[in-house]
Amino acid sequence: MDKFVVNIIHRPEMVPEYSATVTGHGKEEDIGDKALLTESLDIFKTQQECAHKNGLKTTIQMTYASLFNEEAVSLAKEHHEKYGDEIALTLLGLPCEQFREKYKTKDFCIWMFSMDDKMAIVDDVFGKFHDIFGFYPESTGSYYMDAELTNYIKEKYPSVKCAVATCWEEGPKAYHTCNNSWYTFMDGGPWAPWIPSKQNTHAPAANAAEDSGIVAIPHLSRDLIACYDGNGSNFGTHPQNVLRGMIYDSKTWEFPYLFNLIDQYRYLAKFNNGYAYNMMFVGPGWMNKMGRWEAPYELLLKSYEEGCAYYGKLKKEGVLEDMTMSEFADYYREKKGVTAGNYNEPECALWRDILYGSQKQLFWYADPYMRACVNMDQGGAIVDLRPYVAKLNWPVGIGTKHIQDASYPFLIQEKYRAGYFTHYAGEGTVRSAKICHNGEEVDLCLCRTKAHFSQEGKSRILTLDPVDIEFADCTVTIQTVITFEEGSSDIKIDRKILSMSDPNADITINEYMVGCYGTTEYTEDMSSLTLKLEGSEPKIIPYEYKCREASLENADLASCVLPPIETKVSMCCEGRDKVGYIKEGYAFSPMFTIGYTGSLKDKEVFTTWLKLEKAN
Amino acid sequence: MAQAGKGKLNYRCPACFKRDLDIDMFYDKDKKQYYCMRCQFFGTEEEVLAENETVRTKYKDYLKRFTSFEDFD
Repeated sequence: MDKFVVNIIHRPEMVPEYSATVTGHGKEEDIGDKALLTESLDIFKTQQECAHKNGLKTTIQMTYASLFNEEAVSLAKEHHEKYGDEIALTLLGLPCEQFREKYKTKDFCIWMFSMDDKMAIVDDVFGKFHDIFGFYPESTGSYYMDAELTNYIKEKYPSVKCAVATCWEEGPKAYHTCNNSWYTFMDGGPWAPWIPSKQNTHAPAANAAEDSGIVAIPHLSRDLIACYDGNGSNFGTHPQNVLRGMIYDSKTWEFPYLFNLIDQYRYLAKFNNGYAYNMMFVGPGWMNKMGRWEAPYELLLKSYEEGCAYYGKLKKEGVLEDMTMSEFADYYREKKGVTAGNYNEPECALWRDILYGSQKQLFWYADPYMRACVNMDQGGAIVDLRPYVAKLNWPVGIGTKHIQDASYPFLIQEKYRAGYFTHYAGEGTVRSAKICHNGEEVDLCLCRTKAHFSQEGKSRILTLDPVDIEFADCTVTIQTVITFEEGSSDIKIDRKILSMSDPNADITINEYMVGCYGTTEYTEDMSSLTLKLEGSEPKIIPYEYKCREASLENADLASCVLPPIETKVSMCCEGRDKVGYIKEGYAFSPMFTIGYTGSLKDKEVFTTWLKLEKAN
Repeated sequence: MAQAGKGKLNYRCPACFKRDLDIDMFYDKDKKQYYCMRCQFFGTEEEVLAENETVRTKYKDYLKRFTSFEDFD
């Protein structure tokens, strides 16, 4: 039977985000405001009550500030005894009088501190926790946990086995939504729990040597279409985020979207050997008595009560199991086969639009070697690709090259570096194919379709509904099949002609990937890249923005090496009349292209493999 | 003219919201008007609420309860 697991997490935050700055507008800052402290604790109590009355246990993530509050500590102990709640420790909620006095800073995001400060704060917070509870926590977290931070914690406090470690796709989009004032750049990670590698939090461990020793969970379970396209903070299993997105009926205060979101996550068990996961973690600032944006307190409370009630209902129906974070870590390692030594089981999600009515469908795939997104509304084009295989060492925080930017770099990102559509000139990043006949050319990106998932042995297979390509004198019906082979770091794409109105027509195919690298919308320096064709007469183009191209009949491989992200991406091919090619790009179109052209007849298949490797 | 403040609720600018920007508006009590610092939007509370309804038009399925994630029209 499928298992749907939920982690419900609460934190007694004595100075909730937003409360002091937004709802306290017009007053001088007073981080020790007694009224604020009392209200914050009341919100925590309300949240706990919402969960408990629905038969749900929680993970109480004590904040640094709450460790100085006797009532918060006493409540945590009481609820642990009475309800089985886990007492854990978060690295969120650092701001308080004691912290400000000690560290002389208003910084509060643990991953942005210098490494020395990270270690000092961790020791301080963990030590204080131990002084009060007499043990070290098994779970911790923040909005983001960089690898160096996690490695330090695991080494010094080995009891820790679970951590909230990223907010999915909370990068430039969240920054823009907050008028460029919210510095959580952490795109490119898994959307569901994973085991972070020691080298890079986003990239899952491929083996025991890379295993950071923790199970990471995402901060919230987010809509895999809406959050990819828009503001992540509107579309997750956070009832008040749904209100933030105005996704409710303003007259009846109904918000079925939240329950659709939870149910679609349950549905993902179908693609993950019967396992699905949800995480709900609402900071107390979102249940402020003053209301939050357009939502009055009564609506904020209603949304949280109904969110908990829905999870409670699913539990009563026997289709949900509530776990604490540490319980989940044990379950996850067993379920995914990690305990038995297999780190390669991927996470898969065939996700449909449940909000805009577009009927768009995406497929997300993540394993220790890549994260990929396939867009069925663009004929099965790959529209996002992250080369986890490189396991990039990417320290963040003050004193590093990436103080705020914790995102895992992309090779393809259709929102930040265009996709199929560009203005005036140049190309955007995408992995697709063009079908050509008699001077006409049709990109499969323009063929809207749907996909079906299947699993054969170690292969996850995406079979797309066939599409028709209408040329002036011939119609060709083509089917795309995309195969992800567990542990291979390859993506195999088959294009098969199922039928042709003129079986003798000359049809050619151009399989291509337009790529670049980066973490934001803005281009990076491409000068260190090298394009190469391997085969009888190898050809090389060092990237100099000169718009050069090269091709090679029967090429073995078309590749690009990207030193800044220590990645080699290549394409190889099995198909009639295959010709490999590489294209350099130019200043107005700072991209590279690798691909193959070939011929196709009725019932024939043209196959390519996109491969990712670490390039030192 | 006195300084602006916050209204009874913390309304965001509906024009900015439509371009994925969460911008709190401020309230001019003399003109009984919310206004946006980021763009040129301004309006009474009623006008803000009416604009917020138009925000929802992009969510064509926001009141639909899904029973299947495999059925497409």
